[in-house]
Amino acid sequence: MLHYLLKRILLMIPTILGVAVVIFVLMRMLPGDIVEMRLAGEGSYVQQETIDNERAKLGLDKPMLQQFTDYMWGLAHLDFGYSMWTGRPVTYEIGVRFGLSLQIAIMSTIIAVLLAIPLGTLAALKQDTWVDYGVRIFSIAGLATPSFWLGIMIILAFLVVFHWTPPMVYTPIWKDPWANLSQLIWPALATGYRYSAVATRMTRSAVLEVLREDYIRTARAKGLWQQLILRRHALKNAMLPVITVVGLEFAFLLGGLVVTEQVFNLNGIGKLFVDAVTQYDYTLVQALVMIVATVFIVSNFVVDVLYAWLDPRIRYR
Amino acid sequence: MRQLARALAFAAGALLVPAASVAETPVRGGELTFVVPASGFPSMDAHRETTFALIHPLRPFYSLLIMANPDNPADPTDFVGDVASSWTESSDGKTYTFKLRHNVKFHDGSQMTSRDVKASLDKIIFPPAGVPSSRKGMYSMVDSISAPDPYTVVMRLKFGSAAFIPALANPYNWIYKADILAKDMDWYTKNVMGTGAFKFKEYVPGSHVLGVRNPDYFIKGKPYLDGYRALFIKDQAPEVAAIRGERAMINFRAFPPKTAEDIKRGLGDKYAEQQSPWNCVLIATPNHLVKPFDDARVRRALSLAPDRWQGSKALSEIAIVKTVGGVVFPQHPLAASKDELQHLAGYWPDIEKSRAEARRLLKEAGVPEGFKFKLHNRGVEQPYKIVGIWLIDQWRQIGLDVEHWVEPTAPFYATLRGKGKEFDVSLDFNCQAVVNPIVDVTKFLSNDRAGNQYGRYQDRTLDAIYDKIVRETDKAKLEDLMRQYEKRALDTEAHQLITLWWHRTVPYNAALRGWKVSPSHYLNQSLANVWLSPPG
Repeated sequence: MLHYLLKRILLMIPTILGVAVVIFVLMRMLPGDIVEMRLAGEGSYVQQETIDNERAKLGLDKPMLQQFTDYMWGLAHLDFGYSMWTGRPVTYEIGVRFGLSLQIAIMSTIIAVLLAIPLGTLAALKQDTWVDYGVRIFSIAGLATPSFWLGIMIILAFLVVFHWTPPMVYTPIWKDPWANLSQLIWPALATGYRYSAVATRMTRSAVLEVLREDYIRTARAKGLWQQLILRRHALKNAMLPVITVVGLEFAFLLGGLVVTEQVFNLNGIGKLFVDAVTQYDYTLVQALVMIVATVFIVSNFVVDVLYAWLDPRIRYR
Repeated sequence: MRQLARALAFAAGALLVPAASVAETPVRGGELTFVVPASGFPSMDAHRETTFALIHPLRPFYSLLIMANPDNPADPTDFVGDVASSWTESSDGKTYTFKLRHNVKFHDGSQMTSRDVKASLDKIIFPPAGVPSSRKGMYSMVDSISAPDPYTVVMRLKFGSAAFIPALANPYNWIYKADILAKDMDWYTKNVMGTGAFKFKEYVPGSHVLGVRNPDYFIKGKPYLDGYRALFIKDQAPEVAAIRGERAMINFRAFPPKTAEDIKRGLGDKYAEQQSPWNCVLIATPNHLVKPFDDARVRRALSLAPDRWQGSKALSEIAIVKTVGGVVFPQHPLAASKDELQHLAGYWPDIEKSRAEARRLLKEAGVPEGFKFKLHNRGVEQPYKIVGIWLIDQWRQIGLDVEHWVEPTAPFYATLRGKGKEFDVSLDFNCQAVVNPIVDVTKFLSNDRAGNQYGRYQDRTLDAIYDKIVRETDKAKLEDLMRQYEKRALDTEAHQLITLWWHRTVPYNAALRGWKVSPSHYLNQSLANVWLSPPG
C-alpha cells in the first residue's frame, strides 16, 4: 500500500509543474493588458506615462523569462504573490471567498449523496417498475437542467410569489446559521440536484451490474438475507464508480460554479476566477488555476486511495 | 473668469430640467443598501484609480476641496466648496485663493488643515516619481500650490483657463491626511482615512463596503443616515432581483430603459426614477492609417450616413443612449445648439440629402459600391453592441458592407490602443467624471498630444485652435473657438464620428430621498444629503 501511495504522490508533481508552465504561457499569450483595463477601461483620459509607471510597478516591464523565473521561485516557496488588480496578497483574495465555495461544495455533495445512493439503489432493485421509471425521470431531468437555470427559476419564483430574494451578503455559518443557510441552501439545492442526477445514474447502473455478479448469486444461493447481501457485498463494490463521480464533482464545485455564483451573486471562487480572467490579473489567475488543479489532483489521489481500500486487487497490482 | 462662470451657470440653468423632487424635511436614521454594478475596485486610492466602482462605495468617507453642487448637480457649471468655505480669483484669472472650513476633522479626530489639502493636491498634480496619478494631465495650467496659513490654500496658474475649476471639482480629488502621505504614499491604496460624512467600517472584497455615520461631520445635522452598505453585484439579473426584492434600494449608475420598466413592475407604488443626459458618448473612430479612411471624404461619408435624429428616438427605447450632440456634452453652455449642429456633416435635418452626399463623396474618393470593412467593437451589450449594429445598418444604406468585429474588453483595448493598422473603424468611448468640455474635447487632438486619441492622426490646425481654447476666458470667444474646433473635428476633417450621447435612467425605491441625479455617475455620491422615509 505504501509503495502504491508513494507512486501516486510522485505522479502529482510533474502534473502540477505542467499546469504552472501552461497557465503562465497562456496568460501572456492573450491580447490585452491589466493596466490599460484598469486605468483606461472606462473611457477616462490617462497619460501613457501613468500607464508605463503602473506597468513598471507591477513588474510587467521585466523580460518574460525573468517574470517566469520569479513566478516559479515564488511557487517553490508557496508564495503566490500579490493580486495585480487589488495589490493584496493572492492568498487573502482567495481566503475571503474560499469558505463560501467550500460550504456550497460540501452542502451540494451532501444533498447529492443523500439523494443519489438511496434513489440509485432503489431504482436498480426495482428495475423496470414505476419506481425505477420515476427515479430515471428525476435523474434525467436533473442532467438536462443546467444548475444556473434552476437557480434563476428559484430566484424568480421567490421574487414573484413571495417578493423575497435570498440575502446578498455571506454570513459564516458559525456567526448566524439561519442567515447563512437562507443564502446558501438555494444554490446548494440547484447544484446538488444536477450533481445527484449524475450520481443516481451511476449508482443505478453500478448496482445493477454488481447484482448480476457471480458472488451475489452465490450469496443468494447460500440463503443470505437480501439486506445483508445488498449492504455488505453489492453496495461496497458498486460504490467504486460512484466515488469517482463524487470526488471529481466535489473538486469541480470548488472552482467551477461560475454561473451559479453569478446568478445568486455569491462571492465565491468561481466568480473570483471570472473576474481575475476578465481583469487580466495574471498572478491571481495563476494562483487560482494552481489551486483548482491541486484540488483536482488531490481529489483524484483520494479517490485512488479509496479505490485501493475498497478493492484490494488495485493496491496489489 | 468669474463672469464667465456665472454666464455659463445661468445658461446651463436655463437649459436643464430640474430633476429634484419637492423639498421635504429629512428624517434621521436607517441604513441605505445600494448596488455597485461591479465586482469591486482595484485599490482604494482615488488619485490613482479611474473606476466609478471606487467612487460609489468610498466617496462618502472623503471630502473634496470643491465639488459639483449637491443641491443642483444637474447643472454642469455649478460648483460649491466642500471643505472650502469660499474662494476668490485674481483679476488676471491666474491665482485662486481657497478659504477652508475650520471645523473639518479626519475620522481619527485630527484637525484637517491646508497642509492636508496641499499634500493631496500635490499628490494629484505633481506626484513624486513612481507615484501614479491618473488625472495629472488635466492640470497642465497649474503652476504651484501653497498653504500660507492653516486655513488658506493658494493655487497659481500658468495661464487662466475655464477648465481649472471643473477639473478641481473632480470627484476623485479626495483630501488625504498629509502626515500619512509623508510616511507612505501608498497607504491609501489599502486604507481609508478621510473627513467625509461617513466613517469606514468594513470592506469584504467582492462582497460589500460598510460605512457608519460620522457624528463629527463638518456640516451639522448631516448625514441623515446611520450608515450604508454598498453591495457589489456585477451581473444585471441579480442587481434587478436585489432592487425588486428590496435587498437594495438603488444602483446609482443607471439601468437600460427596459430594465427600469422591469423594476417598476416589481416595485409598484414604491417605484421612483430620475433621468439625466449623461456625460458619456460612443465615438466611431476611423483608423487614418488604413485606406480609404485616410481620405477625409470617406470619413465625412461615414458621418453623413447615420440618421442621428431618428436614431435618438429609436435607440433610446432599448439602450442607454439618447441625446444628439457634438464634441461638447449637449447640456453644457459651450455645446452647439440644434441649429449649429444641423450645419455639421451627419446632423443635417434631411437624411436623404445627407446620404446622397455620402454616396457622392464615396464615389469621388474611388470607394466602390459594396466596399467591405470591419467595425471593431467592445463585447459589451449596453450600449456598444446596440450602437454598433445601428451604425452598420446606417452605413449599409450608403452601399457599404460592414462586418461587426466584437472583442472582449481587454483585447478590444489592446487593438484600439495599438499604433498601426489593427482596425478599420472602431467604436471608442469618452466618459469623464466631471463635465469639463475643455478637457473632454482633448480626445480629438493629434495623437502625439492626446494619449486617448486612437484614430492615429495628427492635425496641427486642430491643435492650434485647442491651444487658444484652453487659454481663453471670454465666453463669447470660447464658444466661437469651440465651434471652429467642432467644425474641423467632425465636419471638415471628420476625424471621428460622435454617435449619440448617453442617457441615465436611475430607477430606485421611493423610500430613498434627498439624492439628485447628475450628468455624471461619478458626481454627487457623498450621501450626505440622502435619507430614508421611513428610516427603516
